[in-house]
Amino acid sequence: MEKPKIAIYDFTDCEGCEVKLISLREKLLLLEKKVEIVNWRLGQEKFEPGPYDLTIIEGTPITPEEVKLLKELRENSKILVALGACAGLGGIPAMMPEKDRKMWYEKIYTSQYHPRGIDAVPLSAHVSVDFIIHGCPVDEDEVLNAIECILSNKKPNYRDYSVCYDCKLANNVCRLLNDKQCLGPITQGGCKAICVSGGSPCYGCFGIREEANISALKKIFDPVELLKMFHTKTKL
Amino acid sequence: MITNNFTPLENNGKNKPQTKITAPSLTGFIAKIEGHGSLKIDWDKNSVKLHVDEGERLFEGILVGRPAEEAHWITSRICGVCPIAHNLASLNAVENALGIKISETSKLLRDLMQCGQMIQSHVLHLFFLALPDYIGLDRGTELVKKEPKLFKQALTLKEMADEIAYVIAGRNVHPTTTTIGGFHKAPSKKDLEKLLEKLNMAEEAVEQTLNFFSGLQYPELKVDLELVSLQDGKIVSNKNKSVPIEEYKQNIEEELRDYSTAKFGKFQNREIMVGALARLSFKENKYNLDFSNPFYNNLAQAIEISEFHKKAIKIIEKLLSMEPKNDIAAPVENPSLKGIGTIEAPRGGLYHEIHLDDKQNIIYANIITPTVQNLTSIEKSAQALLEQTKNFENKRRGELLNMLVRAYDPCITCSVH
Repeated sequence: MEKPKIAIYDFTDCEGCEVKLISLREKLLLLEKKVEIVNWRLGQEKFEPGPYDLTIIEGTPITPEEVKLLKELRENSKILVALGACAGLGGIPAMMPEKDRKMWYEKIYTSQYHPRGIDAVPLSAHVSVDFIIHGCPVDEDEVLNAIECILSNKKPNYRDYSVCYDCKLANNVCRLLNDKQCLGPITQGGCKAICVSGGSPCYGCFGIREEANISALKKIFDPVELLKMFHTKTKL
Repeated sequence: MITNNFTPLENNGKNKPQTKITAPSLTGFIAKIEGHGSLKIDWDKNSVKLHVDEGERLFEGILVGRPAEEAHWITSRICGVCPIAHNLASLNAVENALGIKISETSKLLRDLMQCGQMIQSHVLHLFFLALPDYIGLDRGTELVKKEPKLFKQALTLKEMADEIAYVIAGRNVHPTTTTIGGFHKAPSKKDLEKLLEKLNMAEEAVEQTLNFFSGLQYPELKVDLELVSLQDGKIVSNKNKSVPIEEYKQNIEEELRDYSTAKFGKFQNREIMVGALARLSFKENKYNLDFSNPFYNNLAQAIEISEFHKKAIKIIEKLLSMEPKNDIAAPVENPSLKGIGTIEAPRGGLYHEIHLDDKQNIIYANIITPTVQNLTSIEKSAQALLEQTKNFENKRRGELLNMLVRAYDPCITCSVH
């Protein structure tokens, strides 16, 4: 049987999720045996112009060229997966409101500059996305799990539990009980509560979980400011 | 929209592709560098320009209005290859703004994080991005067949560097443990002992990597390079007078180019090269580095892997010998609220400047990355390469130009930010 053809693309972002792919090390080699990576700019010169069985996209489309490419990739891909918070939610780049871009272009670049970027938005603002591998950056096990599901013709599932469950497993003291802000209760699990384990708040990079009880969290603190980090341009 | 009806691969007949991908921006990018850039070569005129096509994220704008405590969290996301460098530069800037002096333990832990960062970034670049050029491969992982022993060592180094980041910074990409004034969480003695064991076990891989890169044949090129690095609060040049870091803005100018979303940096109006080769130009030259040939930046990175590996071991031994106290240092009364934070990132001097209001919200941010400074030098060296390879076939010259860009290890993502 022919191996599935995989393409890995990156739009504007930090490329940390691709660094996570390389951090898979031996597991990346095992994965490579099952597929044919026909395009991966960060990793290789080789390039095939499609069609692809699975296209994995990291980053936010900001420029018109990126949006055009994204639409072509959708047309040419059986399955399209968003890798990480920028592609899935808009991520850190989406914190910049579209209406403020002009002012910041002038402040950062001066008025002589001809900007390229229009607005940083998640992939799903432009095309249909089959699955989001969440995280800023993504977690290695979540990546493997999603790709292996897709390769074995199964639908990868979103986690139906919150970060609180991961926190319990990690033996963390609850931040909310100590009057510290945290989006853990309304955020999808699967991250191993790595930020809370390090002492930082959960900023919700795994996306808001289904049936999240946001109003209950609002009784404890106003999550609006924390939600801006990863959810400015996603619908709650 | 997120599709609810996920169609498995084998039954997925939809989107039987009608068209091939035509987006013009697709094919021209230089492969195996961080971010999106392309070389526009005019063979007739013998000239070359480095176009930068990364979208603008406007980080300096994103930061304004956010609390100081988020600065290092946000700026680490400028770059997934050197997040620790941005994280530490921002913390340094905010701490200077608040007059905070961190404890000896915090300082050692941060230095250790930086060692991990250097090794992580250099290993990724050397083995996965640069080396394939030298041994006729495309993807770095193909090394497993051609040079299985070397590839195993690459993985050992990657694992060791990631482990430093995990144990000290909380994660291999984007730290979770750092905060203004110190650390939310510091590693235990047991964690450090285990880490030391891992570092000691990587020694052979470190040595053999250095041997391997010392034995490579680097392409010939002669460029009048001015090399610059940060040392003891100063911006130091191998050719000119050094200046205090506080005067970075007057000395590093950023120019707009109509073909680039990144600004092009110059030091006192001259092209400079920053990074591993520049740092080593101020030390004893034990490995015959050629400081007028930017291709030697690759060897310089291999040397630095060894240096930072040794340094990391020393820091852990020191931490284990003292009673490490993890306390978070507090701001002084009436701080200046304006701070500059600098660090030697893997690719060279990184500058963050942050101003706060009295509620510790960010009101101004300025970031100059190493690659901004290198872009101008890359163009200068590329031009020199064109002039010095006139008797070569254009195909080979094109390949050499791509290799040259890669040798600088540019981080286009950082340069646009």
